[in-house]
Amino acid sequence: MTAPIFAGGLAERLAAYLSRLWDGPVEIRDLSRIPGGASRETYRFDAVVGGETRGLILRRDPPGSLIDTDRRLEYAAYESFHGREAPTPRPVALEAGESELERPFFLMERIDGGRAAGPFTADPYGAHARALGEQFFAILGRIARADPAGLPIARLSQTPAADACWLRELDHWEGVIDSDEQHPQPIVRAAIRRLRRNPPPSAQKISVVHGDYRSGNFMHDGGGRIVAVLDWEMAHLGDPLEDLGWAIDPLWAHFETERVGGMLPRAEAIAIWERESGLAADPAALAWWELFNAVKGQGIWTSAAKEYADGGYRDPVLGFSGWYTARRHDKIIADRLVALEAWT
Amino acid sequence: MTPSVPELLVGNFLCLIEPPQPEAMGEFMAGKVAVTGLIGLLAAQEAQSGVETRVWENAALRALFAEAAAAVPSDLGDRLAAAAAGEDRDLSLGALDRGNAGLRRLLIELHVAAETAGDRALDRRILGLYQQMADRRLLTLPPMPAR
Repeated sequence: MTAPIFAGGLAERLAAYLSRLWDGPVEIRDLSRIPGGASRETYRFDAVVGGETRGLILRRDPPGSLIDTDRRLEYAAYESFHGREAPTPRPVALEAGESELERPFFLMERIDGGRAAGPFTADPYGAHARALGEQFFAILGRIARADPAGLPIARLSQTPAADACWLRELDHWEGVIDSDEQHPQPIVRAAIRRLRRNPPPSAQKISVVHGDYRSGNFMHDGGGRIVAVLDWEMAHLGDPLEDLGWAIDPLWAHFETERVGGMLPRAEAIAIWERESGLAADPAALAWWELFNAVKGQGIWTSAAKEYADGGYRDPVLGFSGWYTARRHDKIIADRLVALEAWT
Repeated sequence: MTPSVPELLVGNFLCLIEPPQPEAMGEFMAGKVAVTGLIGLLAAQEAQSGVETRVWENAALRALFAEAAAAVPSDLGDRLAAAAAGEDRDLSLGALDRGNAGLRRLLIELHVAAETAGDRALDRRILGLYQQMADRRLLTLPPMPAR
């Protein structure tokens, strides 16, 4: 077990690291851990260098997390989209080793003045819901339209065949559930079997998939403008319908039934995505990816429950996710299985 | 279902009693306290209805197994019949969950058998039961006001 880093230690280590990186003395101010980004420890701080203050975010691998992901992919996603199709913070540095801050981490520029909605708040966007929804689904469409070839993330992420995207993702998340399940889950198992019996059509194209594109994972300025798309830790290449299915999952609707993401009617959201992506959201294919995403959610919550136990029950976010959120997704899956049975 | 209420409440204690690192005192600690509060709120619901929910689910599964035992191959049918004859004597959450785990494993086997045999009626019956199970397990979180 490594010794804990205390406040001064972390700030001093950051200062030493950035001083080497920027070839000049750096002072760290106002280092503060912030909530959110459950798969990484997230800190905000100011770095003063050469009389200039730079607002930065540190994302460090935790001892245990909600999602076990590769920070190189997340960093490459920021590199891929900063200044392009999606508003994202500028990436600053990535360290895969443990010598600097005990665990791997990366740094990116901080976007001040933005706010992100909590996933279980009511009507978090108020009068700006429509404007934000239009941007939210337009940005997702543009991510889907982007050609991954040549993007930094393509160097790190395997490119699946168009007819194999679904199988790779389903195999992965079933494997997570197999590995981490602590109590039998007949509902999600039934969904997995149904998904295997009824595979979706091939992907229309291979796109960058954000992996966790949902309300709450973007920052807005409070005046109806999205200023940053965050939390790319599950980014990969695959079928762009995967992201659309996750974005419209009822779990992220802020307890609403008429507006996906608590922002727009479903049909409008899909139409915007189709317009911006140049792709079609075939209803049968989207239905497959919607059910898949509920399974993926259950994989994440199953993993969270396991991490909660393994970590000595000390991270309440993991406990909450493995309990309340898991039960919400069980309900979503059960309802969807009945609806699909009636449909077919 | 995991984690259990005792684990969550002990977890709440452990995460609050642990001295926070100075850089985690502000916004992060406020968020952590809010989540422990939500867990306490939901644990109250589970304390109120958790035993009843588990007793109901275990009884519903045993009733299903009693009906289906004769309609599936004998290996599975015998185990379904044996499980259907069981009962919950210990009404602690832990004991009910242990019994529930065994019943749920059998339910998965039964559903696979129904799908393999193309038994649509049994398939629909099980899907309907899934909805009831999920409904009864659902915890009600009052929508939090956006900040």
